[in-house]
Amino acid sequence: MNNWYKNFDWILVLCWIALTLIGLAAIYSATQGPVSQFLPSYIQENFFKQLLWVAISIVILIIVQFTAPRTFQQGSYLFYAFCILLMISTLLFGVEINGARSWISIAGVRFQVSEIMKIGTILAVSNYLTSRRNISAEKLSSALIAVGIILLPTGLTLLQNDTGTALVLLSLIPVMLFWSGLPRGISLFIISPAIIGYFAVIQWYWGILAVLIVSIAVFLIQKRTWLTLTSLIFGIIIVAGVHIALYQVLEPHQRARIEAFTNPSFDPHGAGWNVIQAKTAIGSGGLTGKGFMKGTQTQLRFLPEQWTDFIYCVIGEEFGFIGASIVIIIFLIMLMRLLNVAGSHNHPFAQLVIVGIASIFFVHILINIGSAMGLLPVIGIPLPFISYGGSAFMSNTFMLAIALNMELYHRDFSIFV
Amino acid sequence: MIGLFFVLIGRLYQLQILDYQKYNPLSKKNSIRREYVSPARGLIYDRNGNLLVDNEPIYTITITPAKYDTNNNALLARLLNVKTSDLRNKITEAENYSWHRKSRLYTEVDFGIFSRIQENIWRLPGIGHLIESKRHYPTPAKAAHLLGYLREVSQKTYLDSDHYQLGDKVGKSGLEQIYENYLRGKQGTSYKLVNAFGQELGPYDNGNLDKAPLQGSDLYTTLDTDLQIFAEKLMKNKRGSIVALNPQNGAILAMVSSPEYKLSKLAGRLDHKYWAKINADTTSPLFNRAIAAQEPPGSTIKPLMALIGLHLGVITPKTVINNPGYFYLGRRYGDHAEPGKYDLVKAIAHSSNTYFFTVMYKIARNGLFNKWHDLASDFGLGHLDYVDLPGERKGILPDSSYFNNRFGVRKWSIGDIINLGIGQGVMSVTPLQMALVSAEIANNGYKVQPHIVRAIKKSDGTFLSTDPVKKKISWVTQKDIDVVKKGMREVAVEGTARWYANVKNIKIAGKTGTAQNPRGRDDAWFISFAPYKNPKIALAVLVENAGYGSQSAVPISTLMIEKYLTGKVQRKWLLKKMINFNPADTTGTDE
Repeated sequence: MNNWYKNFDWILVLCWIALTLIGLAAIYSATQGPVSQFLPSYIQENFFKQLLWVAISIVILIIVQFTAPRTFQQGSYLFYAFCILLMISTLLFGVEINGARSWISIAGVRFQVSEIMKIGTILAVSNYLTSRRNISAEKLSSALIAVGIILLPTGLTLLQNDTGTALVLLSLIPVMLFWSGLPRGISLFIISPAIIGYFAVIQWYWGILAVLIVSIAVFLIQKRTWLTLTSLIFGIIIVAGVHIALYQVLEPHQRARIEAFTNPSFDPHGAGWNVIQAKTAIGSGGLTGKGFMKGTQTQLRFLPEQWTDFIYCVIGEEFGFIGASIVIIIFLIMLMRLLNVAGSHNHPFAQLVIVGIASIFFVHILINIGSAMGLLPVIGIPLPFISYGGSAFMSNTFMLAIALNMELYHRDFSIFV
Repeated sequence: MIGLFFVLIGRLYQLQILDYQKYNPLSKKNSIRREYVSPARGLIYDRNGNLLVDNEPIYTITITPAKYDTNNNALLARLLNVKTSDLRNKITEAENYSWHRKSRLYTEVDFGIFSRIQENIWRLPGIGHLIESKRHYPTPAKAAHLLGYLREVSQKTYLDSDHYQLGDKVGKSGLEQIYENYLRGKQGTSYKLVNAFGQELGPYDNGNLDKAPLQGSDLYTTLDTDLQIFAEKLMKNKRGSIVALNPQNGAILAMVSSPEYKLSKLAGRLDHKYWAKINADTTSPLFNRAIAAQEPPGSTIKPLMALIGLHLGVITPKTVINNPGYFYLGRRYGDHAEPGKYDLVKAIAHSSNTYFFTVMYKIARNGLFNKWHDLASDFGLGHLDYVDLPGERKGILPDSSYFNNRFGVRKWSIGDIINLGIGQGVMSVTPLQMALVSAEIANNGYKVQPHIVRAIKKSDGTFLSTDPVKKKISWVTQKDIDVVKKGMREVAVEGTARWYANVKNIKIAGKTGTAQNPRGRDDAWFISFAPYKNPKIALAVLVENAGYGSQSAVPISTLMIEKYLTGKVQRKWLLKKMINFNPADTTGTDE
């Protein structure tokens, strides 16, 4: 391993360092700033806990670099099984926080098992889809098994009442299948429910429009009448389903939560409160922001969960458009770099793993920032590397470390070797 | 993916750059609370600089419904020491007013409750407090009709004016109403930094934007507190009024309208039971009889009739008129005065009706009826005198067009006019007007402006003087005045008021009168002034249903004069008698 530093992906590491530092600054402001007087001490401590997790994560990052990439492939099923067992035991013995029973307490340290479940799932699916030549997403049976590998932990997270993570896991299905050969049209068809559902929540006619556009796109890409028709019918069923769910099935307060992001003033002191305060925080930041620890929305405790789910509002308010867009650009660089690495890698397992990792990051970033700016319903998942949360930070670093490892050993880890 | 990221950045641009103007004020509004700071209401002093009205702090618990958690109802009710159902009603009321704005939940809670709430304020989001003030009356003087009470500003006033916040108090009667604009002061504003729980964190921007309230102006009145208290004591358990003024300048020294009510019961949180009681009272304690009771002046008009008659030349001081016991014009008009010959002084002293029927008859015969109206009007009758109190009434001083309107053209006769000569018939005056007549005769014919406030002290320390000028009534000559005053003096010495008005060392002049009352027994009048040579006080006293003025209105007036001029009362027996005086105990009527 000569000249390892030349093979080491410094861009990803720099992105990681930058995001971590921004995250620490934001958590500091959100828990140690003037706002701390309104926070209970266990929340004020979050900053120091996060420092500890960052330190642990650095160690993990380094250790992972001394591991042979093949180990991840060979150990993937075992790790997956281990994670599934952990998930089940969490369901049985876990600790409930904010209504989600997704935490397990080991020696006094709480850990969110679903975070490493993501890694286990990515590794297992990647391994499965690249293990034999005759397994491919183009084959229905293989595709279904791959989907099954993802759906099992998804179901468990749903049982843990952790919708956010379940959604993130689900997003792996189209990405992984697409990368391993599923036709584009079908991939689009798979993700279409999310797109159509999103627009259908805003207004039913937007949903219908989305159905038409998706169906036309599917037809243009795949040129298969039955797929297009299925897509069309399926799409309309989704729009109708969403409409019925909103107005018939859901209780008014549940509907209010979903509608909060399309129309926050619908219920300004209930479900809409968070959205209004989040948008106000970001909007009032202006170009340059109000300054570190000077955001009134942040420091006067107008933001909910400002150290995790709404941390982006802290950045937007205190560092303004400049700071907030820099964060998005760093994320973009990181994701582009990951996809670039994936695309140039010689080993399909590595490719799939990195794509899976990128996909997980992407969904987190999109949902977290999107809901902070009132574009998406508030689902409540952390912003990678920035939000407070030890298990999430560690798992995310672990995932990045795996990607770095694959890149570092890309000459040694190849189907040609 | 890149596309979606650009959507995110685009959204960021939209929120932070394009909509900055919308969200920046929003965040400010979020964290800055504007509060109105009520100014201290102006104080009211008497003529000697003694406080009549000041302010005392009251503690009010407020609620912002949007931030309040109704799960705290039981706790809050316990702290406030009220029933939970009562509290719930109050909260609903507040919610109906505004979801987001502070409203008063309980006013005038005692300091102990206030402190208990403050100790628990951290677990009562949405609950706040105001330290306000209520009117306080340091003297035993009631002076309810003079000083007036405050009530919460009406929805309409609140909306029409930018001086008030809902729940502010505004003067609704007396000086409090007339001088509202001065007493009120100017609201201040203060900006407070608040957090999401509505907790106040201190001033915003170090209070640079704050505007201190401008304290209300103080009123310096002409009232003599001791005399006022004395007058109230005399009028206890009687209906009627006393108006005492300085004849030289129209300054009102004391004014009583009885029955009274207690201002202290209307200050701060309204005592609804008391309010309902005084409103329902058939003796109308809220009605200021001193300026709004309109009664025929009776014989108290005679001194003014004499002046007018002398001026118009229908009589001279030497004119002697025979009283056979009645005046005859188509029928007999009765005269209680002893039959005999009367000159002017004697006619006033013994209140001869025949004499003044004759005077009025001659006026009417000479076509001077409307002239009579104008001359009487010069003394303040028949129109408002613009005293600085609300609710003043103008009474009735008829002229030919009034009669034409009332009875129809040519439907009235000289008989309707001659009754006016003895102050009966279609004519009415207020006690204030009669006090003015008395004062204007006392000061030798100078028109004075009746007033209570002589100066207003603004918050910057400067004084606004309201001392009105006095003006000679041009047609009144000193010769005529002297004769009339002599007659009035004789009233006290050997005339109708001689029993109680002939006071040692004080020369009192006056005139008794009886107002015919269609609803019951006649009302007793007495107008007076003293000392005779250099009058310092002029009075009008009206005691309802007392019949004999000489036994009620006269002693009350002369006790007032004695008290005011000497500072004490020699005739203790009379004072005791008048305090216990009940109009129903007397019988008959005199002139």
